[in-house]
Amino acid sequence: MKRLVWVLWPSFVVAGVAEVLFFTLIDPQELYLFGAPANFSRMAVYSFGFFGFWAICAASSLFTCFIQRSPDEVNVCMAAATCKDRVRP
Amino acid sequence: MNDAAPPPQPQAPEAIEQSLYEVRHKIHPRAVSGWFATWRWSLVWFTQLIFYGLCWVPWHGRQAVLFDLAERKFYIFGLVFWPQDVFYLAILLIVAAYSLFLFTAIGGRLFCGYACPQTVYTEIFLWIEKKIEGDRHARIKLDGEPLSARKFSRKAAKHGAWIAVALWTGFTFVGYFTPIRTLASEVTNLSLGPWETFWVFFYGFATYGNAGWMREQVCKYMCPYARFQSVMFDPDTLIVTYDAERGEPRGSRSKHDDHRSSGKGDCVDCGICVQVCPTGIDIRKGLQYECIGCSACIDACDQVMDKMNYPRGLIRYSTENAMLKKWGRKEIIGHILRPRIMIYGAILVFIVGAAAVGLASRMPLKVDVIRDRGTLAREEDHDMIENSFRLQIMNVSETPRRYTISVSGLAGIEIESDRVVDIPAATTRSVVVEVHAPAGSGKQEFNRIYFEVKAVADEKIAVREPASFIMP
Ligand code: SF4
Ligand code: SF4
Repeated sequence: MKRLVWVLWPSFVVAGVAEVLFFTLIDPQELYLFGAPANFSRMAVYSFGFFGFWAICAASSLFTCFIQRSPDEVNVCMAAATCKDRVRP
Repeated sequence: MNDAAPPPQPQAPEAIEQSLYEVRHKIHPRAVSGWFATWRWSLVWFTQLIFYGLCWVPWHGRQAVLFDLAERKFYIFGLVFWPQDVFYLAILLIVAAYSLFLFTAIGGRLFCGYACPQTVYTEIFLWIEKKIEGDRHARIKLDGEPLSARKFSRKAAKHGAWIAVALWTGFTFVGYFTPIRTLASEVTNLSLGPWETFWVFFYGFATYGNAGWMREQVCKYMCPYARFQSVMFDPDTLIVTYDAERGEPRGSRSKHDDHRSSGKGDCVDCGICVQVCPTGIDIRKGLQYECIGCSACIDACDQVMDKMNYPRGLIRYSTENAMLKKWGRKEIIGHILRPRIMIYGAILVFIVGAAAVGLASRMPLKVDVIRDRGTLAREEDHDMIENSFRLQIMNVSETPRRYTISVSGLAGIEIESDRVVDIPAATTRSVVVEVHAPAGSGKQEFNRIYFEVKAVADEKIAVREPASFIMP
């Protein structure tokens, strides 16, 4: 649960900032999707855009969470995986 | 209301609720009244009247404050902002940041305690909770009871009321981005668009979750401001402080004891300051980052002091220096105007002034010149060269206007197409302009020319935009 918030919350904030910056500079009606003009309402593009940003940022947070584990934590996991009778510290 | 009795009360076992971080002891803040509580409630009323009300205010036939995302136009009373005005958004953010620095340096987390939406909605939700479930002790008891019809109906009523407030909040929020009256009629006709529906529920859910469930955890674990507040503090910053020298050694006593002669301090160790604290900390342990500066403990302790006939202010707003050097109110106020505050203040005044001047002298007309990508240059008969351009003309004012377009920069250059355009209020028109110039009038390739767009009714409204004329 803690990790979930670590992943979702900062990415939510950054996605909000990215959304504002991106769509102030770019009008959704000027976007092209697969070479054809994107024929969605602006509201739809804003909303999709926000969740897109959020997903990308969340992926980054997730990766951070994954690699920030200390060597000890990683070793514990490896020990648990390879040696069944070793007692966890 | 606070019906506090000074002797220590046995702490009822509190429900432990699965939380996001460490095991969270559910906090049941006790309601408090007093000077600061009155202030806090006034601010809750003030901010919420603005938030829930402003979106309904009409202005010359439209919504006074509307951030129209679908049309990409922001209306704030008489002002209309376009994406090109992003500069003012940046200014607004800078002003907000500097105000935060300024207020934090003066009075600690004033924003958190009085104006932060998290505090404001928590306060509203707590009020509902208190009305339905009773004050702290009743709530602790209720939470400890096994599920019964009574408990269920209370809880259901509470959550129902919370959800209603949350949905109304979500609706209001969306009403700042799409015209709220249209939105309201769509809701009554059950024809609300999918995205609007989604965002109403999304924002409503966030309000319900944050103010009903997460509460102080948002301040403790999610808010970045709480983490860097200390850089903005200095020894002259006013913070909620417990006067340990006066209060210690704490201990219970009867009202008529001469506690000084028995060596006791003024703190009767009633624990009420801890019970009222929305973040559940004990201010007597000193300044902690969890303290949102809500002053609930000041109000609570003052009431205890009154009952004991001790002077108020065992917990009070004070500064680090004042505690060390035993300053009175006068010296504390004298130290508010220190260099740091003056610098922050001066910067703030300067930025706000500059932005105001900029806004007042803002040209209510904007022009973008875009070369027509299809055709570069065309040779016409009589040795004339034609270039075509697209002029994006924005009438940023709220009156429809007629404009003339002229061109200069080359000998004999002139516009072949229409030279007059009418543009309705707050609208953009894209006009194709064909420009002719004699073949020998410029060098090969790019030549600098200027378009001038002028309002017919008002000579001062004019914009000169450069462009390049291509000679083959
Ligand atoms: S500081 Fe005040 S409110 Fe807190 S325990 Fe002491 S007397 Fe009670
Ligand atoms: S310690 Fe006092 S001022 Fe700080 S959050 Fe708790 S009640 Fe509010």
